[in-house]
Amino acid sequence: MTRAKNLDMVAPDDMVETKRELRNEIVENKVEPAMVKDINKTKKKKMVAKTDITGDLNDRIYGIVGHTKHSLSSLLVNPHVFDFEERAAEEKIILVARPHWFTNVSWIIISILLVLAPSLLGFIPIIDDIPARFKTIGVLVWYLITFAYAFENFLSWYFDVYIITDERVIDISFNNLLDKKFSEAKLSMIQDVTSRVSGLGQTMFNYGTVYIQTAAEVAEIQFEMIPNPEKIIKVLQLLRQEEERETLEGRVR
Amino acid sequence: MFPDFTNYLVLVEKIFGIVGSLIYLIFALVIVKQVNTMTRNVRDKFNGILIVFSYIHLVVAILLVFLAWIIL
Repeated sequence: MTRAKNLDMVAPDDMVETKRELRNEIVENKVEPAMVKDINKTKKKKMVAKTDITGDLNDRIYGIVGHTKHSLSSLLVNPHVFDFEERAAEEKIILVARPHWFTNVSWIIISILLVLAPSLLGFIPIIDDIPARFKTIGVLVWYLITFAYAFENFLSWYFDVYIITDERVIDISFNNLLDKKFSEAKLSMIQDVTSRVSGLGQTMFNYGTVYIQTAAEVAEIQFEMIPNPEKIIKVLQLLRQEEERETLEGRVR
Repeated sequence: MFPDFTNYLVLVEKIFGIVGSLIYLIFALVIVKQVNTMTRNVRDKFNGILIVFSYIHLVVAILLVFLAWIIL
């Protein structure tokens, strides 16, 4: 039975299938009950070992980054809802990062001012001379453009995601409505990781850019304006160590 | 005696208004299309709300075209 040989490669949910297959094998080949017990014990041991490794890794990542407090948080650790189109079936998302919330302050202030502007313009006498029909259309257009401005900026932040999985690092960026960028590099391809925190805002709120040099086709992946860059570097170090250990133990997918 | 240009001016205003609102409608359609693409690529908790907002924006943009047609 091929499944049993590659037990480390199958997902925990597949155990039910394996058990059913085992039962069929017992019926068909009349396998001794003692042998079945041995096989089950071996499987359980392997499963426990794998769960321990994953659980231990999760605990260490939680230890570094902490737990996610809100869905709109800039750092999502082991997210349950988050997913992306290019994810492989067995690939596990370890960390999702978005630019720091402070990067949104400028467009939020501008949006508030744009919302308040029509009421402020009411004090200018020349506005009274404009016909009412133009005013109605003008106000509607103004608020539509304000909404579009705020919405586009929010989308640019919300969909500008940096993902670390157990296999690779991914940068998905929507720079504007018509520009999407996807770049990825395998963890084993990462050669050098550096970070840069510069300027008053970045130093005060501790966010910056992490530069990931790779041996892949994309020479460098940048995690821009992410909070706690030093923690991201630690997580990457940890995952690279884990990847190396997997390579040595022959557990590479 | 100068000819009365008022009617021509009203017509020009109307054409500008309608063309402008139609261009905005195209922009609103691009937003809807792009939000759908983004939410397909990256799935997260607030995707549904964003799609709803993009459609509300589109509906108001359509309303703007009608308003420009009727009011101006």
